[in-house]
Amino acid sequence: MELFTPEFGLVFWMFLAFLCLYFILAKFAWPYIIKSMEERADKIDKGVAYYQEAEARLQNAQAEADKLIAQAHNEQADILREAAKMRNELIENARGEAADEAKKVTEAAQVSLEQARKEAEKQLRTEVGDLALQIAEKVIRRNIANDDAQRALVEQYLSEVETKN
Amino acid sequence: MLILIMKSKIIIAIVALVIVALMGWGYYSTAQHRAHGHTSELNPKETIFEHLGDAYGWEVPFNHNARIPLPIIVWGQDGLHCFMSNRITGGETYEGFKISTSEKYHGKVVQVMEDGSEVRPWDFSITKNVAGLFIAALLVIWMVFSLKRWYARNNLKAPRGAKGFLELVVDFVYGDTIRPILGKHAPKYAPYLLTAFFFILTMNLLGLIVIFPGGANLTGNIAVTLVLALLTFLITTFSGTREYWKEILWPEVPMALKCPVPMMQLIEVLGMFTKPLALMVRLFANMMSGHMVVLVLVLLIFIFTSLFGVGVGIGTSIFSVAFTLFMLLLDVLVSFIQAYVFTILSTIFISMALVEPHHSEAK
Repeated sequence: MELFTPEFGLVFWMFLAFLCLYFILAKFAWPYIIKSMEERADKIDKGVAYYQEAEARLQNAQAEADKLIAQAHNEQADILREAAKMRNELIENARGEAADEAKKVTEAAQVSLEQARKEAEKQLRTEVGDLALQIAEKVIRRNIANDDAQRALVEQYLSEVETKN
Repeated sequence: MLILIMKSKIIIAIVALVIVALMGWGYYSTAQHRAHGHTSELNPKETIFEHLGDAYGWEVPFNHNARIPLPIIVWGQDGLHCFMSNRITGGETYEGFKISTSEKYHGKVVQVMEDGSEVRPWDFSITKNVAGLFIAALLVIWMVFSLKRWYARNNLKAPRGAKGFLELVVDFVYGDTIRPILGKHAPKYAPYLLTAFFFILTMNLLGLIVIFPGGANLTGNIAVTLVLALLTFLITTFSGTREYWKEILWPEVPMALKCPVPMMQLIEVLGMFTKPLALMVRLFANMMSGHMVVLVLVLLIFIFTSLFGVGVGIGTSIFSVAFTLFMLLLDVLVSFIQAYVFTILSTIFISMALVEPHHSEAK
């Protein structure tokens, strides 16, 4: 069985070839390759972990942001409501004040009007009295001696007129 | 659709071409065989074993007599002789050496003594297989160093293309096999195991290529697997821990099994040798049988031609070529599997030698 008998020469060369190959690769190649591959695996693992952490952080940040936005919305709504209330109040106040002021102005105007009217009345009365007197005097100069008695009479008539009004 | 049809047509054309080429080659080499005075009919057994075995010089396709010459280095009765194989492969005698045709040393270089007897010298010849070994070793060095260069130049970037595949294989063998099994011892033994894996794989695959750089049936040669198994055996034996030797020499079994008659010890010691022996035979038998099946399938064409004529031979060739292609593809798979099996088993044997005392039993 030639096939099952190892040939000495081939055993020798195989031994030599394998040992040379082993020493070359074990010294210059395998440790470097293994180190590089493990370094890369490590780097990839770290990268994945970093990514996952970053993603988690991002999600947290997103949630945080959402919360903040929701809060801001609420605050905004509050502020708007507050503002509307305040505005209404202000308008209400202003309206009230304006009404008061208007009332005051009106009252003052009425007072001064009244005064003016009284003044005018008084003046008118005096002027009318004088006018009447002058008229009366012109009319009855001759037959009326007592001036004072006549004046009293006119006064009396005017009062009557006034009460009629 | 059109492209698909065209593609399939191209494939059919290629297959047909291969078949025709093979048939032509077969006819040509058979004719040459006859012309060279081989009057005997085709001898399948001889042809198969010739192809499975070693040779002086390297055959070239399409010419049965031409060979690439390789150096013959022999240490005979009168010292060292070196010459190229083409001086004796034609059957000549050179410096007292020739290739024997006798029953005992068939196909080997022998020194012809003065009385006509043949003596086998120490034969260090660079035969086809030895040259194949060197080619495989150089290929492995080239492959592995190209990967190393990639890492050195590209600073942890993932390799592309063939180097990426190489890295995948390294990672599978080291990262998924050696490291989980050997744990903290992995860096110490990984260089041997990885070297063994890639050397075996390269030799397996080279053996499947039918022309020059390949074709040497290396891992299907028992000498090659013997050395590999021997190295695993030596490493296993020399890295054996105290616990390993204790389990061999004084295993924890009932006293009757080990004391008066060292039965368990005998079995354990036997086991030390059967493990590497199994490694050796497994790789050898797997690769050798793969080659043998391919050879038989191809030879079927010639057998049928000589038995039933050319027509049957042509018919057979279609099936033979199809099956040969299938077998070769299968052998590619087997090449990977067997290289991996050798490596994983070596790893396991080494890990068994590195055994630490079991804490529960130590008390």
